[in-house]
Amino acid sequence: MTARQIITSILLIFGGIMLFIPLSGKYSLREKPGQVLTTVLDESNSLNADQVARFLVTEDSTLLLIDLRTPEEFRECNIPGSVNVPYAEFLKQDPGLYLDDEGMRHVFYSNGDLKSGYAQTLAVGLGYKNCFVMKGGLNAWYVTIMNSEFAGNKISARENALFATRLRARTLFNEVNSLPSSLKLAYIASKRFDPKKLDGGCE
Amino acid sequence: MGPITSIAGFPAWLDLVIALLIGIGFGFALEQAGFSSSRKLAGMFYGYDTTVIKVFFTAAIVALVGSQFMSYFGLLNMNKVFVNEYYVGAAVIGGVIMGAGFIMGGYCPGTGLSALAIGKIDALFFFFGGLAGAFLFAETYPMIQNLANGNFKGPVKINEVFGLSPGLFIFLLIAAAACMFWVAELAEKKFARPDISSEL
Repeated sequence: MTARQIITSILLIFGGIMLFIPLSGKYSLREKPGQVLTTVLDESNSLNADQVARFLVTEDSTLLLIDLRTPEEFRECNIPGSVNVPYAEFLKQDPGLYLDDEGMRHVFYSNGDLKSGYAQTLAVGLGYKNCFVMKGGLNAWYVTIMNSEFAGNKISARENALFATRLRARTLFNEVNSLPSSLKLAYIASKRFDPKKLDGGCE
Repeated sequence: MGPITSIAGFPAWLDLVIALLIGIGFGFALEQAGFSSSRKLAGMFYGYDTTVIKVFFTAAIVALVGSQFMSYFGLLNMNKVFVNEYYVGAAVIGGVIMGAGFIMGGYCPGTGLSALAIGKIDALFFFFGGLAGAFLFAETYPMIQNLANGNFKGPVKINEVFGLSPGLFIFLLIAAAACMFWVAELAEKKFARPDISSEL
């Protein structure tokens, strides 16, 4: 056999293997189902609206809020600092773009618990660390942060702090969501994840 | 997990050192493969020596297969691998200019430098020609920037454009390469030029 024939056959063998291995393998679940369920059902992997509000007012930059609702709903209102990854999009593209960062805590939220729960389960199954859900989603956010009022007679220091945080989160939420829509769109566009942003090559 | 530089958070100078080492290795391999000989390179155009297409096609396929396997085994994150962006007009016109320069000068930019490194005089002229071209491009850029930036397609991948799975695309490419190698060797026999020595 000539050198060409040897090299060609080796390459063809590899090509044949490539035909049969699922190259989208990186999207397949890595964790065992039992492990995924344990992680997802663990209370410590869900945050309530008050915890998210506290992160918001302390401007914690290690927290990434991921809004799974549609772009229209996101434009309508969103928690300040969150990024919009519509659920359909989440299923389609590789979430590694924004989840592949172990130093960040990723908090999914949607209107209720359903989509965020699915997304968290998938993300945990794909092997990403630090994936949380905001329990109750935006519904809970409205109930606890936007519409709650202190109803008792005597307020304790702890409750006072809690309500102060809620009030500040509410103010931030209202400020961002009452921006004129042109500003809002520019802001949303600046926060999109874009795989094209990688640089390099010969330029 | 790869790519090395973006996960380890190396400082910029270390990235440059790595690039330098890879560059030296690349130049050395080019020289060893005989690519510092303009006769060998020009042979591609006349058909008497098709080493160029064989080497470059093999290198591309090996890199393709290797990166896909590494990605499959979780050693390389393909999302962090740079995909060159596609400007249709610029690619077509630039390709023609590059090809013309290649056959006139007898080198492509990398092999030109590799030939310069072993002391070839014509490669020195080629090198200055390349610099002059870069200078000309920079000076005329305002006039041609519409062309240079027009028809932007983004970082497209061929298999995605055709809707093929990566595995099938790789297999087809390898099959195409196998055919091409075969045709290339036929051409070498047909257009053989015993009067052109393969010496440097």
